[in-house]
Amino acid sequence: MPISVKNITIQALCCCLLVLAAVPALAIEHLRLATTTSTENSGLLDVLLPPFEEANNCRVDVLSVGTGKALKLGESGDVDVVLVHARSKEEKFVADGYGVDRRNIMYNDFVILGPIADPAGIAGSKKIAAALSRIAEKQEIFISRGDNSGTHIREMQLWQDIGVIPVGDWYLEVGRGMGEVITMANERGGYTLSDRGTYLAYQAKTDLVVVVEEIPGQFNSYGAIRVNPDRHPHLKVELAKRFLDYLVSSSARKLTTGFRVNGQQLFYIDE
Amino acid sequence: MDYLLTSLSAAIGLITQLNQEVLSTVGISLYTSLTAILLASVLGVPAGIALGLKQFTGRRLVLTLLNTLMSLPSVVIGLLLFGMLSRQGPLGGWELLYTPLAMIIGQTVLATPIVANYTLSVINGADNRIMSTAMTLGAGSLQSGWQLLKETRFGIMAAVIAGFGRVIGEVGVAMMLGGNIRGFTRTMTTAIALETSKGEFAFGLALGIVLMTIVLLINLFLNLLQHR
Amino acid sequence: MKPVFSLQNIQLGRGNNFNLWIERLEVRDGVLYSLTGPNGAGKSTLLWLLAMLRRPESGAIYFGDTLVHGTRSELKKLRQQITLVEQAPYLFDDTVARNIAFGLRLRGIQGEERNNRISQALEDVGLGGFEKRKARELSGGEVRRVALARALALRPKVLLLDEPTANIDEASLQIVEALLTSLPQQGMTIIFSTHDLDQPERLGAEVIRMRDGKLEAATYPASPRQHVATAEKITWPRPLKISESSYLWL
Repeated sequence: MPISVKNITIQALCCCLLVLAAVPALAIEHLRLATTTSTENSGLLDVLLPPFEEANNCRVDVLSVGTGKALKLGESGDVDVVLVHARSKEEKFVADGYGVDRRNIMYNDFVILGPIADPAGIAGSKKIAAALSRIAEKQEIFISRGDNSGTHIREMQLWQDIGVIPVGDWYLEVGRGMGEVITMANERGGYTLSDRGTYLAYQAKTDLVVVVEEIPGQFNSYGAIRVNPDRHPHLKVELAKRFLDYLVSSSARKLTTGFRVNGQQLFYIDE
Repeated sequence: MDYLLTSLSAAIGLITQLNQEVLSTVGISLYTSLTAILLASVLGVPAGIALGLKQFTGRRLVLTLLNTLMSLPSVVIGLLLFGMLSRQGPLGGWELLYTPLAMIIGQTVLATPIVANYTLSVINGADNRIMSTAMTLGAGSLQSGWQLLKETRFGIMAAVIAGFGRVIGEVGVAMMLGGNIRGFTRTMTTAIALETSKGEFAFGLALGIVLMTIVLLINLFLNLLQHR
Repeated sequence: MKPVFSLQNIQLGRGNNFNLWIERLEVRDGVLYSLTGPNGAGKSTLLWLLAMLRRPESGAIYFGDTLVHGTRSELKKLRQQITLVEQAPYLFDDTVARNIAFGLRLRGIQGEERNNRISQALEDVGLGGFEKRKARELSGGEVRRVALARALALRPKVLLLDEPTANIDEASLQIVEALLTSLPQQGMTIIFSTHDLDQPERLGAEVIRMRDGKLEAATYPASPRQHVATAEKITWPRPLKISESSYLWL
């Protein structure tokens, strides 16, 4: 009866694996958070998460991806909470029943980064949209995230607003995170659209400067959404609720607005 | 399960309808890999033959170096070349970073030790009467070497194909030196690695199928050569 | 008669363990020599040395009147006049005709002349019409005869044959022996090794007998020459390693 022996062995193995997998999970509760590269790269989460983890004896596992992918992870129930920045997509996510309980967390602003030499001559421009159409006109190198992230979605929106379809040798769509795009723009001597937070985090490592910024800014607002537990019963509802409550609590807000990179405030909160 | 099946059918659709994006990505992959393997063969085959035949001081060192290079992860080669080609690097003035040429350079560096090493073992395993026969018939050393190459052509082809298999399937160099620029340096592997993180699973799957088919064909061909 | 080869104080091998140690050997033009001796006596090594495939550790080799220095271009020129056929010869993985054409092409022999030489050589070894046959599909005996034809087509000044009649069928034996007697009459110098002790006498060959890497009494008169006393000091070039045990002189 070699088959049954084999079956028993396989069952035993499976049991062992299950036990092994369960042991660390039992020890401490894990909350899975999908967020954007801009939040992760800025370093904000490093100050924001530890107090929550300590108070609730849990760990927050951060998956830092683009907004598009973060929402996909939410749709498939791979994470408990998403923290992203693309208002229209977030609202659709909730409307489609994938998420519940959306809360505004914070915002920062978008800027155009470029080389100091500024070959497109856009420095001092008051409007990001106007600067983009000048870059397109002069066919200066522009690196696009091209990854369906919140920044990418905002960029596409801006191109649409000025009626430009960005194609050509000058427009490089790289499908990568903000930090990598800043590195590439620096290497190629090109421009890119970035959130201020990531730029400040990378400022020391790059020669790029903020060429164009708007006052008041092109807002980049972040929302936190719980993934709908009705669709995915295995999700950690209680912990996720507590996490959202924490994010809008006064102590977390103090940490967020008090967060500085190179002495500059990155994130603001709508009171 | 449903998710996988719908993605799979979407992927097959992309391939059978000759989706422009899929074609361009496959084209870039083949262009860089084939050019790189051509260069790697030009460098690696003679190097392998020379190492197989000649005795010189430092030969052992070169062999060790070759073995190290062969097992070096592609990201490390990518890292070193990034340092060379970056704006701050010594070759920054060439402005090669994030171009197909940079990928070709990286993949050549990756494939040359493989081609050289496999060639070396082909030469070591070759009938040792080949050289002496060619020479006694009046051939000079270069002509004898050429004859040796002709006699071991199947082994040498296997060496070249092994190198090709390595470069077509590697991510590190393509990602770090090419930068995954759409329609310019986006290869099958970088697209699979990064497009999936955009939620474009079907697109990645389509490229995965193409890549798997290419690698499968390569290995079938290699198998055929080895059993000749 | 002028010697084609003169060897002086040739030592091959290292330490006290010489594979070959020949104080003096002269090979005359247009003569058939047989090389005899027990296994391991150094017959094959001597043939490799004479074919300029194996370099000595010390000593002097004269080809005709000129001292061999061992430069590449010189060796290539010499090898175009000396051809060795081994006991287990290697045929290139190609047709019979292309195998024979290999050496002819290196000598710049082309077109009609090349084709004639190929078919003539094949006729000589009794394999007329074998041009298109694939080398890998020949029998063992045919391989050896094609290898012989490949050497004959080059019309070398010196033909070296390692055991050309060992383990050979009767028909092939007669063809090879006929060639051994007829070719020297056309001016070719032939040295062949053999285990058949009656063969030299049967073919009217002079005998070079070897034992332990040295020459035993040769049956031909040694003719002392001027340069014997003034053997120049030669620094031989580095050998080419072919396998752990054999080195090729490149």
